[in-house]
Order: sequence, then C-alpha cells, then structure tokens
Amino acid sequence: MAVQSNLQSNNHQLEAFSLSDDEDEKYSGPSIRCVLFNLDSEIYGINVRKIREVLRVGHIRRVEGSAFNVLGVINVRGVIVTVVDTRMTYGLPSKPADDLSRIIIVELDTDNIVGMMVDSVEEVKDIPEKQFEAMSTTKEGASRYLQGIAHYKGDVIVLIDVDSMFSGKV
Amino acid sequence: MDEEILQDFLVEAGELVERLDEQLVELEHAPTDADLLNAIFRGFHTIKGGAGFLGVTPLIEVCHRAENVFDKIRNGDVSYDATAADVIMRAFDVISDYIGQLNDGERELGDADQSLLAELDQLWKPSKAVTSTEEPAQTDQPKLSLPEGVDPDGEISDDEFEALLSQRDALSADGGNEPKLQLPEGVDPDGEISDDEFEALLNQRDALSGGEADEPKLKLPEGVDPDGEISDDEFEALLQQRDSLTLDTPAAEPTPKKPPKPADKPAPASSAKPATTAGKDNAKDDKVQAKANVESTVRVDTRRLDEIMNLVGELVLVRNRLLTLRGSKQSEEDLSNAVANLDHVTTDLQSSVMKTRMQPVKKVFGRFPRVVRDLARKLGKEIELELKGEDTDLDKNLVEALADPLVHLVRNSVDHGIEMPDDREQDNKPRKGTVILAAEQEGDHILLSITDDGKGMDPDILRRKAVEKGMMDEVSASQLDDKAAFELILSAGFSTAEQVSDISGRGVGMDVVKSMITKLNGSIDIHSVLGEGTQIKIRVPLTLAILPTLMVSFDEDSYAIPLTSVQEIFDYDADLTNRIDGQMMVRLREKSIPLLFLQEWLNPDSAKENYLGDKVIIVSVGNQRAGLVVDQVDGQEEVVIKPLGVMMKHLQGYAGATITGNGNIALILDLPGVVERFQ
Repeated sequence: MAVQSNLQSNNHQLEAFSLSDDEDEKYSGPSIRCVLFNLDSEIYGINVRKIREVLRVGHIRRVEGSAFNVLGVINVRGVIVTVVDTRMTYGLPSKPADDLSRIIIVELDTDNIVGMMVDSVEEVKDIPEKQFEAMSTTKEGASRYLQGIAHYKGDVIVLIDVDSMFSGKV
Repeated sequence: MDEEILQDFLVEAGELVERLDEQLVELEHAPTDADLLNAIFRGFHTIKGGAGFLGVTPLIEVCHRAENVFDKIRNGDVSYDATAADVIMRAFDVISDYIGQLNDGERELGDADQSLLAELDQLWKPSKAVTSTEEPAQTDQPKLSLPEGVDPDGEISDDEFEALLSQRDALSADGGNEPKLQLPEGVDPDGEISDDEFEALLNQRDALSGGEADEPKLKLPEGVDPDGEISDDEFEALLQQRDSLTLDTPAAEPTPKKPPKPADKPAPASSAKPATTAGKDNAKDDKVQAKANVESTVRVDTRRLDEIMNLVGELVLVRNRLLTLRGSKQSEEDLSNAVANLDHVTTDLQSSVMKTRMQPVKKVFGRFPRVVRDLARKLGKEIELELKGEDTDLDKNLVEALADPLVHLVRNSVDHGIEMPDDREQDNKPRKGTVILAAEQEGDHILLSITDDGKGMDPDILRRKAVEKGMMDEVSASQLDDKAAFELILSAGFSTAEQVSDISGRGVGMDVVKSMITKLNGSIDIHSVLGEGTQIKIRVPLTLAILPTLMVSFDEDSYAIPLTSVQEIFDYDADLTNRIDGQMMVRLREKSIPLLFLQEWLNPDSAKENYLGDKVIIVSVGNQRAGLVVDQVDGQEEVVIKPLGVMMKHLQGYAGATITGNGNIALILDLPGVVERFQ
C-alpha cells in the first residue's frame, strides 16, 4: 500500500512539473501529507501513510549488543518495538530524552513496525508534491534515506524515506 | 479461476496428496489390497475432479492417466510392480509439484510432460488384451453374501450390482443345484463393491455356464434355473445395460475389465482423449495471474472453539466483577477471590488456545515412508519404516521446525545405520532392516525417537576420528565415555562416512540438526550398540510460544533463562572458584564448570572490578555445562515469547523478549548464543 502510494507520488512529481511564481498555484496540486518533526532546528517530514502513531517516551529497555543507533525496545500494547535514535542515524550527537521528545511508530510493512525517537513532533501538514526536489547526490552519506527536500512557506523540509532507512534490516 | 474455490481445492488437494503419499508407499507392501487401491484411485479421481472444475489442464491429464492405471490395477488387469511404482511415484511427484506451484500463486502451469503421460498409458495399455483373471469353477463354494448398506461410490453399476446380487442370491437359494459364486481373494466383502469384484463374479458365472463361452453377448446360460421370481433374462438385460453404460461413459468412469471368455469382443473404449481436450477448453478461460495470498490455516474442532468461547465468557464475567469492585469499598477478600478466579480462567484459556495450535505429528511423519522408500531403492537396501505415535499432538510451529532435522536423522539411519541386505544376512539379521520413528508425550515435552537395527556405532572409531580431525588430543579422547563419544557426531565437521554421498555424510548435517534442536529448546540423546543399532532421542517442549523461565536481574534489567536448561542454582562462593587458563571455573561435585559473568556482557558499564556475583546458575547447553553468574534470581515465570523488533532479530544471545507482570520488558536469553558470545 505504502509502496504503491510512493510510486504514484513519484509519477505525479514528474507530471506536475511546472514553473510559476504565483503563490496559489505554487501550493496547489497533489500533495503529500506529512508528519513534521525536528532534529535540532531542522524540520523533517515522514509521509503519514507510514506512521501508525506518535508516543511519548517512556522506559526504553536497552538491549546490549544492538546497533549503535538503536536505543532499545519498548512495549507498545504487547508488541516489542525497536526504537532507533534518529539523531544518531543522521550523524547528530545523541541527546537524552526530554519532555518534548517523541517516538514516532513507523510501519515498514504489515508485520514490522519500528519506533523513531525524535526531538519533537510539530504538526501534520499537506505539502504540494511539486515542492519536492530530489536530493542532489553529491554527498553520498548525507543523502541516504532522504526522499526529497521541499521549500515550503519559508521552511526547508526534508522528507525521509523510511523504507530505505530500514531496508535489509527487517 | 475462482480464487476462493481454488483455495478450497488446494487445501483439500494438499490433504489428498499427503494421504496418497503414504498410501502409495503402503501399496508397495500390499500391492493387491483392494481397499488401498480403491482409496488411491479415489484420491487421484478427486484431485482430477477439482482440477477439472478449475480447468487446470496439466493436473487433470496426469491425474487422469494415474487414475486409469489404478483402475486397471484394482481390476487385477495390471499388477503394481516396481516399474509401475516408479512411474506412478513420478506422476505423483508431478501432481504434488503442480499443487505446490498453485499454492505458490502460480496460475499458468506448464504442459504436462508427454513422456510421463505416455509411460502412464504404457503401464496398462499393452497388457489389457492379454491379461485376464481366470477364476476356477468351484461349485461347492460357500454362498456369496454381501452386507446391506454398502456404500456405492457413485457408479450406477454398483447400485445395480448390489440389487442384482441379492436377486441372484434369492435365486440360488431356491434352485438347489444352482452353482454358487465366490468373491475373489483379497477382496474385502465388507468393503465397497468394486468393478473387479463384479467382474470376477461375472467370470465365475461364465466359467460355470461352460458351453456358453463363445456367445458374443452375455446371455442367459443353460442350466440356470429360470423359475425364480426374477428371471435371469432380466439379469442379463441389466448386465448388458450396465456394460453399454460403462462403455458410453466418458473417461471419468473407470473402464471395466471385459469378461475374459468372449475375448474377441472389441475392447472397452479407452476414452482418455475426450476428457483431456475438454480440460483444455476449460483451461483457456482462466488466466488469473493474481498472486495468491497463501493462506495458512489450521483446522480446529468446533468443540474446542466452543470451549474457548465459554472461557471468554467467564473472562468477561470476571472483568465485570472486578469493575464493580473497583468503585466500591468491598472487602479485600472479594477482590482476591475475583483475582483468583481471573487466574483460573486465563490459565484455562491459555491451554485451550494452545490446543488449537496443536497438530498431530503425523504431518511430519507422513513424508517419511516415501523418503525411506526412495532412499532404500537407491541404495539397494531393504528397509521397513515403522511409525509410532503419529497422533501425538504438538505445536504447529514445532511440527514445521522439526521436519528438516528429522529428515536428516532418518536419512542417516537409512544410509549409515542399516547395512546392505547381504551383510545383514551374514550377521544373522533379517535381510530387511527396520527403522522406527516414534513420538510420544513425556510430561510437558515431546519425545521423538529414531531407532534402527543397523550396524550401530563404534565409540573407538569415533574417538580416533576426533583425534584425526584435530578436535581433541588422544588423552582427552580416550577419557570420553561411550555416550560422549557418540555425541561427537553432533560436532561440526565430523563425518565418519568414508565416501561422501549425496544422501548424507557431508559432515555438515548432524551439527546443523543439533543447533536446530537446541534452538527449539530441545535436546538430543544418542544411544548405540555396535552391531545392534542406534537410537537417537530428541526431546522438545510441547510448544514454542510459552516458555517456562527463570527470571534473573541486574539492577533493574530483568532477563529470562529457559528453565529447561537450568540444572541447579547455588550461592556464589569465591572459595570454590579457580582461574584456569584465564577462565573462571567453579568446582561442583568434583567437576569444574566454566563461569560466565553475565554482567560483563549485559551491563558492562556497571561491571565492577573483582565483581562477585550473588548466585550461580548451572545450565546445560547442548552437551556441555556452564555456570551463569547473576546478581539476583527472581524466580520462576511462564512467559509468552515475543520476537525482538526490527534490526534485532539476529542478535546473538537473545531468543526474544517478553513482558513481565509489571509491564516491563524482560529479554529472553538464548543460551547457546550466550555461551558462544563468551568464547
């Protein structure tokens, strides 16, 4: 389902390519509904279709021997869910959870869910697909897991490709 | 193709194929068993019927040919010999392969292998004009009598035959010198009336009537008393009606063996072709390419479901009770009563739900007759496989997980255990070797055993081999007792087979078997007597989902250790420990056991210098023992195993996680992994 929608949106991106300075037209057309969150001062987005829920941070059970960016596991209503430190994944220094910290529960497929710990969750926003530009591939490492970048109403929003982030790790 | 019907068909066909697999092997031991032949015939027929409905042409073709062959066999026209068996087995493999493909979502099957079809036809076509069963005329045979309420398998002739038979019986009783008919040998008079019985009786009749043999059509023979209430003319008329009926019936109906005496009569049409073309027509309509959602289903007795429903009802009652108690200031006694009740209901519910997951071990065992048969033929050995305790229930996952290790062990028994027939004879053993595969429940465990009466293992050879392979030095090898020597075969890279065959003996087998069994929290036990045979016993827990564990903790983190591995717990005593070759060991009843300080691994930050644990837990891992040093032992708890999430599934040392009574997560340790981690 989610993969299909991604494919569709990619098609739209190609079709809806137009140049216009008019504000209204600029933000019209098909859009991607995103959950926006922060890491430091940067704004990131994840397609809502991929998100099951957003949780406050409770006790995270450490699992010795797991990967560097894995914080541990939590109990989400009887299901053991791995929580990754999104900051570490993007090369930012780890920081302890505070009141604003949230865990975004992302659905990779019907059987696999994963939690992403982020600094804070802002809001849900519809972002026109044509605002997204593909990431330039100059910096290999940094563009990993990124689906595109959008300039939207003065903000720069980085859209995360969660599938590639966890591909091969399921 | 209608997906829903297809799924139903696949479930049914899967069961039929499983049954056929066993029946075909059984048939080799009893090639004339009429019930078995009929059952196999019907098996192929039913698969063909379903395939015809869905228009799976290649499947229809193969089933149809196989069905034809079995029709001939059950009529006694063709015998089920080794050649026939091989062709039929191949046809069966093709059929099960087709069904497998359909199960995998494949909707366009390749055309059936023409050479196979031709071979199937070959099995019965050339011989059909020649073979005939001559039943000697015996006038003093006991009167034929057939039971009431015989189940006809849908062919008109059977009904009719039943009626005619009783009529004839009545006639015979009247006419004093009326010759009596006899059922052919090997036919169960209590079973269904089949064509071959009918034919045999006809033959007898013909033989008895003597001079009428050259009569082209069956007519009332002379010497039969026509004075009964129902004349033999009528009998004959009905007979002919039956013959013509069968001749006209399309190939779905078995073609009857024609009476032997009027041998020049045109053979009953082998009308195989119309059916195949019809099948092709059906097939072209269906081009469904959709990948099937492979359904994974379990059959559950409705009574069991009712039981669960009942318990859920109880559960709701307890919940309501607790809800009312919550608001009021009731006595604590009421509350504890309700909680006790809850405890009761959940325990019952748990065991009831577990039972729905249980499947008979037959599911795994079913494949072995074939495996053993094929192997024995390939190796030129004579082997009989005995299955015991096939109805023992175990968890569905376990049934699947056990299949591979068992195949391996049985192959080993056949390949390495049982000797060649000539060698066996020299050793005063029956030529035919026996392999016994047995299952039984033993408390909360299932005990599986593979026993053969083959040559057994020589512990000295094993010890020598271990030294040769550099696994240990001569001294320690000679110190191994026989049991430990046998267990050497479970180590990686240990194969004593002189020649590596494609059957077994690659030296990668037994250690894989062992690790698979260990993963299931099971154990392997080997017992062997040189010259008399080998017995391998496997013990696995009844279920994989619920695990009795020992809970231990470090600070706040709790861990669960599978209780089956725990042998004993005692206080850590520094006086009993030694450092030997860099490894801490504890002395326990004259044996030194390595100590693993779990803290070093699980909680390295808080690992103190000269840490002294609180308790030592002696666990058995595979065939060795180790002492786990822990802070605190919290007690025993039955836990529900949950898989660790994404990115952690292959983490060494953990078998999963569970949620404890207070809602926290406890990690379940996988002891073999833990031990490996410390090495």
